[in-house]
This record gives sequence, structure tokens and C-alpha cells, in this order.
Amino acid sequence: MRPSPQSRGLALLPVVLGVAAVVALAILPKYVESPYALQLMVLFFLAVIQGEAWNLIGGYGGQYSVGHAAYFGIGAYTVIVLLQSKGLAPWWGLFPALLLAVVVAAIVGSITFRLRGPYFVLASIAVAEIFRLAALNWKQLTNGAEGILLSGIPPLVIGGAQITDFSSKVPFYYMGLALAVVTVLVTIWFQGSKLGYYLQAIREDQDAANSLGIPLTFYKNVALMISAFFTAFAGALYGLYVGFIDPQTAVGLDISVQIVLTAIIGGIGTVLGPVVGAALLVALSEALRSNVLTDLLIGSGLVDAGSGIGQFLRDNLSHAHMLIYGVLVALTILYMPDGVLGGIKNQLRKRRSRAAAAGGAA
Amino acid sequence: MSAVPEPILEIKSVSKFFGGLAANSDVSFTMDEGMILGLIGPNGAGKTTLFNCITGYYPPTKGEILFKGQRLNGMTPDQVCKLGMVRTWQKVRPLAKLSVLDNVVVGALVRTGSVPEAREIAREQLHVVKMAHKADFLAGGLPIGERKKLEVARVLATKPDLLLLDEVMGGLNPAESEDIIQLILDIKKRGLTQMVIEHDMKAIMRISDRIVVLNSGEKLAEGAPQEVVSNPEVVTAYLGEAHV
Amino acid sequence: MTIFLQSLLSGVLIGGAYALIGVGLTIIFGVMRIINFAHGDLVMLGMYASYFLFTLGNVDPFVSIIFVFPLLFLFGAILQKTVINKVLNALPQNQILLTIGIGLILSNTMMLLFTSDYRIISTTYSSGSFRLGEISVSTPLLLSFVITAAVTAVLYWFLLKTDTGQAIRATAQDRDAAQLMGVNVKRMSVLATGIGAGLAAVAGSLISPTYYIFPQVGQPFTLKAFVIVVLGGMGSVMGATVGGVLIGATESLAGAYISSGLKDLVVYVLFLLILLFKPAGLFGKSRV
Ligand SMILES: Nc1ncnc2c1ncn2[C@@H]1O[C@H](COP(=O)(O)OP(=O)(O)O)[C@@H](O)[C@H]1O
Ligand SMILES: [Mg+2]
Repeated sequence: MRPSPQSRGLALLPVVLGVAAVVALAILPKYVESPYALQLMVLFFLAVIQGEAWNLIGGYGGQYSVGHAAYFGIGAYTVIVLLQSKGLAPWWGLFPALLLAVVVAAIVGSITFRLRGPYFVLASIAVAEIFRLAALNWKQLTNGAEGILLSGIPPLVIGGAQITDFSSKVPFYYMGLALAVVTVLVTIWFQGSKLGYYLQAIREDQDAANSLGIPLTFYKNVALMISAFFTAFAGALYGLYVGFIDPQTAVGLDISVQIVLTAIIGGIGTVLGPVVGAALLVALSEALRSNVLTDLLIGSGLVDAGSGIGQFLRDNLSHAHMLIYGVLVALTILYMPDGVLGGIKNQLRKRRSRAAAAGGAA
Repeated sequence: MSAVPEPILEIKSVSKFFGGLAANSDVSFTMDEGMILGLIGPNGAGKTTLFNCITGYYPPTKGEILFKGQRLNGMTPDQVCKLGMVRTWQKVRPLAKLSVLDNVVVGALVRTGSVPEAREIAREQLHVVKMAHKADFLAGGLPIGERKKLEVARVLATKPDLLLLDEVMGGLNPAESEDIIQLILDIKKRGLTQMVIEHDMKAIMRISDRIVVLNSGEKLAEGAPQEVVSNPEVVTAYLGEAHV
Repeated sequence: MTIFLQSLLSGVLIGGAYALIGVGLTIIFGVMRIINFAHGDLVMLGMYASYFLFTLGNVDPFVSIIFVFPLLFLFGAILQKTVINKVLNALPQNQILLTIGIGLILSNTMMLLFTSDYRIISTTYSSGSFRLGEISVSTPLLLSFVITAAVTAVLYWFLLKTDTGQAIRATAQDRDAAQLMGVNVKRMSVLATGIGAGLAAVAGSLISPTYYIFPQVGQPFTLKAFVIVVLGGMGSVMGATVGGVLIGATESLAGAYISSGLKDLVVYVLFLLILLFKPAGLFGKSRV
């Protein structure tokens, strides 16, 4: 079967759209100066990076790690601790941070990938909890539960010219965008590579995959190391951007759950699933935080602003995002286990199979 | 090296216990290159267990397995596959959410790092099993006959020297079985060696150069097809449970 | 030596409550093969139930279990019928994610309703203790241990001697075979979830006089319950009972000899070691 010229043109469409989207995002800060809008975009980029990174091992490989907070935390803590206590600039601090995350991933993978199904999930959670407890208790290094407040980032100077002093959100915007684009490109490469094929085979049936010559632990480990690399990168960016980290917000179970949720809500094992998931989650938690949702409910006349319920929502919905995440996880698993894009992909495939069957019969 | 060609596979006193149950006990036989060996026996005789031991899925409790002169004990299934021996599954195991073509690509990737090259190999193998028109279908949605053929295409794509086929005709209608028989004979013509587990005696008589009979984990008989079917012990073991 | 005996004793006493939590988890797992990640949050609900019964109704927390068990039994049963039942055949990772979601909903709903303030139940005996030679024994812990033992005895009697109990065990042994034998496995799943939730909540009530009560208090109990259940062998009630006491003791000794901040860490490391080297548990037979 040769692709017809028509279908070749169609295959170009996603590339054109993708490039257009990236160009639009790249020039956005020239026109939008609102720090609030930029803030939302940075959070969106961070979520994309984490979701895409998890997707490699969780979505394509079917190895549901609910412990990716460990790698996120390693990235954030290493860069921030080195900067704060040793004065090491973050662009140098990134090297040890990412290296450490990858090495830890290799060790954790070699241990936990021998376990299957629920046992692997449990082990991944235990590993992340071990790191959280370490961050909580190794006070000389991490300042324990109080966390670390970053006092500043040195300006980035290349060849005598100051590129940025990190005083605005714009440099974080571009770093986030660049890394998000890289993770999407890596996922596209991964999906068409031997590694991607092998991880999907492992997801579908480990014994069958093994009998076809796939060394299971090796390939799972490679995918986990790539995944940990980008997750730690996101952690480092997050720490620098927010300027504050503590064990709960950098290594807590909530982080792990958010990462998984980003990927499964959009659709695991698809390139754009985590992008869709990130957009939905960031929009939703922002709507909650800023009380947009409450205002909508009141504006639509569903809820009376003066009533007890209206007041209750206004007081509480703004910090209910973990509650909503819980509801979303449950609803996704119950009604949309393949996520938004997964559902669409299944529909398309069904239609194509039907068309092919009709064509074959004719 | 002697002039006599070495056997491609040597099974030496292999036993496999599950707790107190001897699923294989003291089984020995050899296979020469290019032959088809039929492995028969009533349900529960230990045929699948023997495949599992040979391909590294279980470590045998006792005994030794040599493939092309190399000792396999302690090897994992992926290492065994790389050496050139691969098995199909009695209860088929399609990679359900991948397309038919991609299932075969996964098999082909053991010999190449290049996905385009693997796709070429995969398309060829789909032609061999006459499933090229189903390339873009999801493997999970195939009817049983085509799932069995997909299993064969997938293992062929790993470029094996020795194929172990576990009841690839089970549950098929006569026309589909005939397709598979022709396929097995074609594969033989290409010089590959095959060990075939099969319940259909007529089919096994037609394709096998040699037959090994297992019963309750032990080797009951071995020989040319005609010899084996006229063996009274085999007849009783089989007639006791025959449900072809 | 005194330190050793002292921490061993406190550990064993708290281990009684852990055992109840673990037994609840293992019964749910045994019957449905689902790992309940909201288990610790059920413990939390038990603590809150006792707290409100105490502050509003003046009911002693140890007496409150008479109300807490039926209440949470009902909650668990409804949860099974309406939600968990829908994923009985889903991928294990999806089952886990669903129960993680349920746990988030429970703890965050409690936070919305009652804020994240720490609450305490101060009974007359909350900080009471008496001396046994050189060792001091905490009154509430000892009381809770005695009640735990009684609850466990009732549970064993129920599982071993009643028809319903035997049907639950048969379902746990082999769901299909039990169904063929005429056991209503759907009903057993509802019952098992109810009992598991009830036991977790009772454990929560029993430790409520000695713990801070807040919405996130459940999380560590979930992981600990797994450690206990894996240690005892998934699905084994006896194993979970012994496992609970062992983990209580280990944790208490780690707290005394290593550091109280790191005692949970020691337990999780132990967990990984068991998963790797003794996946069938120390006592039970793995049915996985
Ligand atoms: N993993 C296992 N654990 C315990 N018993 C097994 C296992 N696999 C197979 N058996 C037992 O070994 C015997 C042989 O099974 P099998 O090799 O599947 O027979 P066959 O393929 O000849 O029908 C049967 O009694 C079966 O129940
Ligand atoms: Mg068999």
C-alpha cells in the first residue's frame, strides 16, 4: 500500500499545524504582557512536560508509576540546594540534577520493574514516599518541612552580554515552551522508534513481548530514565520559577497523582494526550483558584450569591483542586479509561477498520 | 567436529515439577535441522510445559537443553529468541491495541534496529500467512483463525531457525486448518526446523517427520509417524481421552 | 534493655490497630482482587466519627465503635455497589487509580467541611499510663489493644464459624469455584468491602485518643496497610494480623534506635525488600 498524494498531503497537515502553534506561542509574549496570562502558560508548559514524560513509561509502556514526584523532587531540590547553599548557577546545577534523576531511575527501575501490576504501582509509591521522608528529615540539606525560599537567581550572561536577569516571567515562559516542545518531539520520535514499539508490546503483554526477544527490564529502564530526565527538568524549572520548595509541594503524593492524571485524562499512549490533559487541568484548577467557577455558577443563577452555598463555594472552592482532581480521576477511569484523545483514536480506528472491511469485501 | 551433523535441539532428561506434580519427567529427545517433529499427547500431558522449559519461560527442575550446541539453562525467553528459537502460544497472545502489522513489526525488531526495515519484513511475513489485507486492523479484534495466523507471522518475523508451534490449529475450521498445514509445509521448504504440538492426528501424521508422544509428563513413545500410531500403548493412552 | 522492651511494647500495642487496618484491606483484596487505596482515608473517617461522637454526644471513643462500625460498613457497602463494582474487571492499575481518586475525594471533602485543623480527643485517660517494673504502659494504647483483640476474635469467629463467613472465605479462595458452588459472589463483594471499611474505621476510633485528627491523617495508613498485607501474604487474614503487630513493633523500634522521623522510611524500605525477596509474604501463600 502506497500513500496516495492526497494522503501524503494530509500527513503534512499535523506538521504545519504544529509549527504554526509553536510559532504563535513563541511570539505570544510580544503581544500579551499580563503576568497572569504568562503565569498560566508557564504552569501549562510544566504540566505538558511532566505529562509527556510520564506518558513514555506509563502510557506507552503501561508501567503506571505513581511515584514520579521522586524525580520531580530530585530536580527541584538539587538545583535549588546547589544554588542556595553553594551559589552554583542553575544552568550548571541542572547537570548534576538531571544526572542524579537518571541514575536514581536506573536503580529504582532495576529493583521495581521485576514487579508487575499492582505491586509495581505500590513499589513506585513507596519509593517516592522514601524520597519525601528523606527531604523532610535531612534538615541540614533541605531545611526540612519549612522548605527553602530562594533568595534570587543570578543573571544569565553569555559572552559578556546579559541575556536575562529572571526578574520577569518571560524567560520562564520561553524555557517552559522550549522544553515542552522538546518533550513532544521526543514523544513523536519515541512512538516511531524501536524503543516505542517495544514499550507498547510490553504494555500489551509482557510474556508475549519477552518471547519475541524483548528484554523487559532493560527497555522499561531506558524509558524510565528518559521519563525521569524530563520530569526532573520540569521539577528544576518549577523550583526556580516558584522560588520556594518544600517536601509536600515538590515530592508529595499529590504531585505524582497530578502527573498521572495529566496523562490519563488526555489519553495515554498518544503524543498529544498529555497536552490536552495539561490544558484541561491547568484551566480547571485556575478556574477553581480564582473563583471563576463560583462566579459562573452564581452568574448563571444556579446558586444564590447571598445564600450559604454561595458563600461556602466562594470560601472553599478556591482550594478544592485536589478534590476536583479526585473526582476527575474517578470519572476518567469509570467512563473514559482511554482519555479524551484515546477515545477519539478508538473511534477513528473503528471507522477505518469498518471502511477497510467494506473495501475488502467489495 | 564430526561429519555427522549435530542435532539442532537436544532435550536431555528434562523434568519440571509444580509442587508435587511432575508436569515433565525425564523427557529426552533430539531434533535434526529441517525436520518437523510432532509432539502429541492427551490434554495435561505436559506438552506446553515442555515448550515453556525449552524457551526459558520456566527453569527446568532437572535436565539440560542444548540448542545449536549451546546450553540454554538459565537463559531468559528473550535470549532464547535471539539465539533463533521462538514459540507461539496455545492461548494466543495478540498485542491487542496494536495493529496487525505492528504486531509483526515487534517480532521483526529483534533482528534490526530500523523500524522501516522491520516494517518491510513484517509486510513480507503478512503475505506469507495471507493476511496482508488485514495489516491496519487492531490485533485484538481479529477472529480466532486470524489470530493464530498472526502468531505464526509474528514469530516468523524474528527470523528463527527453530519454531515451536503450540496447537496453532486448535479451534479452527477445516479450511483454516488446511491453510495452516500448507503454511507449515512451506516453512519447512525454506529449511526451518519446527516442533508442532497438535491434537488433530490426521494433520500431525501428514506433516511430521518424527513424532514424540507424551503422557502424564513422561515420554511414552518416539518414532516415525506410522510406527507411533501402531504402537498399542499410544493407542490406549489416546483412546482413553481422545476428543479430536 | 528498658528502651528495647519499652518500644517493643508500645509497638505491639499500636500494632493491634494496624492489624485491624491490614485485615480490612486483605479481606477486600481477597474477595475482589482490588487494592483499596482509600483504605487509610476510611481510618480517617473512623477517627472523625469518634471525634464528633465524643465532642457532640459525649460518647467515649472506645464505646463509639458500636456506632462507627455499622456506619462505615454501610458506607463501604454503598461505595462497592455504586463505584468499585464497575471496575472489577478493569486493569489493576486503573483499579488503583480509581481508589486513589476516592481517597482524594474523601480526604479533601473532609478538609472542605471541617478545615485542616488538627483536632484531639482528650479523655480522662488520654495521657494516662501506669508502670510495669521499669516500663510505662499507656492506658489508652493498652485499652485499644484489648479491644482490638476482642474485635479480631469476633471476626475470626465470623469468618470460620458462620455460613456467611465461610462463603466469604470460599470467594476469596476461588471466585469462580465459589460461584459454581452457589455462593452469591456479588453479595460477598459488597459484604467484604463493608467489613473492610468497618474494620479500618474501628481501628481509627481506637487510636483516636492518641492521635491528632486531621483530613490527611489517613495517607500513611494506606501504605502501611499494604506493607502489612504484603508481609502477611496478600489475602491472608492470619498473615495480616501477625503482620500488623510486626510492623507496629518494627516501626516503634526504628523510632527508638534510628530516629522518630525516619521510622516510616524504615517501614517502606522493608516493604520494598519484602516485595523483592519474599513476594509471597512471610507466612501466606501468594495467589497472584
Ligand atoms: N504454572 C503451572 N503451575 C502448576 N501447574 C501447572 C502449571 N502449568 C501447567 N501445570 C500443570 O502441568 C500439567 C501439564 O500441563 P500442560 O503442559 O499445559 O499440558 P498440555 O499442554 O500437554 O495439555 C497439567 O496438569 C497442568 O495443570
Ligand atoms: Mg497445552
